[in-house]
Amino acid sequence: MNASAISVPHGHDDGHGHSHGQDDGGHHGHLTLQYQPGLPLSRGKLIMWLFLSTEIMFFAALLGSYVVLRFGAPVWPKPHHVHLSEPIGAFNTFVLICSSVTIVLALESARANKTGLAKMWMLLTLLLGTLFLGVKAYEYQAKFSHGIYPQAPRSRIYEKPDLYYGSAVRERLGEPAIIDKLKELDDTPADKLTPEQVSARARLQQVRKMVTSPEQQAFDLAVVADQVMPLPTEGPGGSHGGSGEGGGHGGHVSGLNDIFPWLRLPAVIPGGNMWASTYFLLTGFHAIHVMVGLIVFTILLGYKLGPKDAGKIENAGLYWHFVDLVWIFLFPLLYLF
Amino acid sequence: MSDHDIHSAHAHGPITRAGDIPEHDKHDEHDGHDHNSHDHDHGHGGIGKYLLVFLALCGLTTMSFLTYSSVWPWRDQPHVGWAFMMAVSCTKAMLVVLFFMHVFWEANWKYVLTIPAAMMAIFLALMLVPDVGMRTRMVSQERALRMARTSDVLLMEQAAEAKVLAEPAAH
Repeated sequence: MNASAISVPHGHDDGHGHSHGQDDGGHHGHLTLQYQPGLPLSRGKLIMWLFLSTEIMFFAALLGSYVVLRFGAPVWPKPHHVHLSEPIGAFNTFVLICSSVTIVLALESARANKTGLAKMWMLLTLLLGTLFLGVKAYEYQAKFSHGIYPQAPRSRIYEKPDLYYGSAVRERLGEPAIIDKLKELDDTPADKLTPEQVSARARLQQVRKMVTSPEQQAFDLAVVADQVMPLPTEGPGGSHGGSGEGGGHGGHVSGLNDIFPWLRLPAVIPGGNMWASTYFLLTGFHAIHVMVGLIVFTILLGYKLGPKDAGKIENAGLYWHFVDLVWIFLFPLLYLF
Repeated sequence: MSDHDIHSAHAHGPITRAGDIPEHDKHDEHDGHDHNSHDHDHGHGGIGKYLLVFLALCGLTTMSFLTYSSVWPWRDQPHVGWAFMMAVSCTKAMLVVLFFMHVFWEANWKYVLTIPAAMMAIFLALMLVPDVGMRTRMVSQERALRMARTSDVLLMEQAAEAKVLAEPAAH
């Protein structure tokens, strides 16, 4: 696109301008080819913007589907139902905003030929991006440890405490490894367990009875689900439409799955599966973009980062700001809605 | 390559509109392109401006976080909070795009790239509404029985409050 317009000032046209400096015939041999980019910006930047405009559509499709799925769903988990921590999300937002500033400062320093300073800002950007990913990994771990995965073999999330849920719990309790573990737990003297574990053991025994009982009632399964992994009634700092401060479980310490991590019983989070699909897809694609950005920064650190490299930094910065931009929308949509 | 490179790189010559024939190898006002890209190099900048934007972004993030705290007066109407947060997010996005991505100082090509992409984005989301957004308006009775509903959350909350198993746990 850029190189398409090539004009020859002296009324000389040698076809399509592909033969630079080639003299055809008895002319003066003075041929000035004029390079004319079609747009007042460099090719690299043009391509980066074209790429970003496709990225806008890519993330718009993801975010749009998320919003449409979420508001079309009959029930959607509250952030604390799925163990999302709003302060951690806000912290990550802050980290990304900071990294956006540092990459801009790296560009300014490179333009001013302060290469050392540019390197410093670039390195800081790299570190902030890594910090973001680290926090993200920690958050993912919190989901995984509660059996929240996007797909069935690993995901232990059931939509509602119905008969399917009951049979899934029964099946898990019937696995040979779990039977052995349960026997071991039952045989452990009470003084070798913490008071919390003793209480949980008693509750677990009841749960086992309830699940296998032939005359169980619908409400029993809700009780089982609540014992396995209760839905926290309040976030740590209070949240929308909460039913009173400090009430309920106020966390998830009392769940049987938390006290005996080897249990891994199926849990109930109404709407949790769709939530997990969208959450992991959105944050996963965002995290991939962050990783690509980090690779680019690592490569850039190998350069001198003077005015000559300013264009590279600018393009990397454009990409990075876009990644920041996506998170600006992801954070409230995922953590605060 | 940045704009700066273009202006200084003699190998490329001046930038003109297609078909224009520049008289000299120098680039000044009659070059035919917007001067905005010139301003890009010397017109703005200053770390102060970036820090100001940064502070605004931090302030806005705190504002959307406020909806989550107990000072927020519309806690029983989540829609107010959602609308507020989206407004805050759009403001933040504008700040990042305009100043960090330098779009504020760019020439008019910025509209060519951003407006169609933004339209596409909006229509993409809107087109999902009938099939995906309204997917649970009309469902078979069997499906309605199986899918999670608000009543399931209530049931779990009741189960938590009933404390059926709390008695043996106490001692």
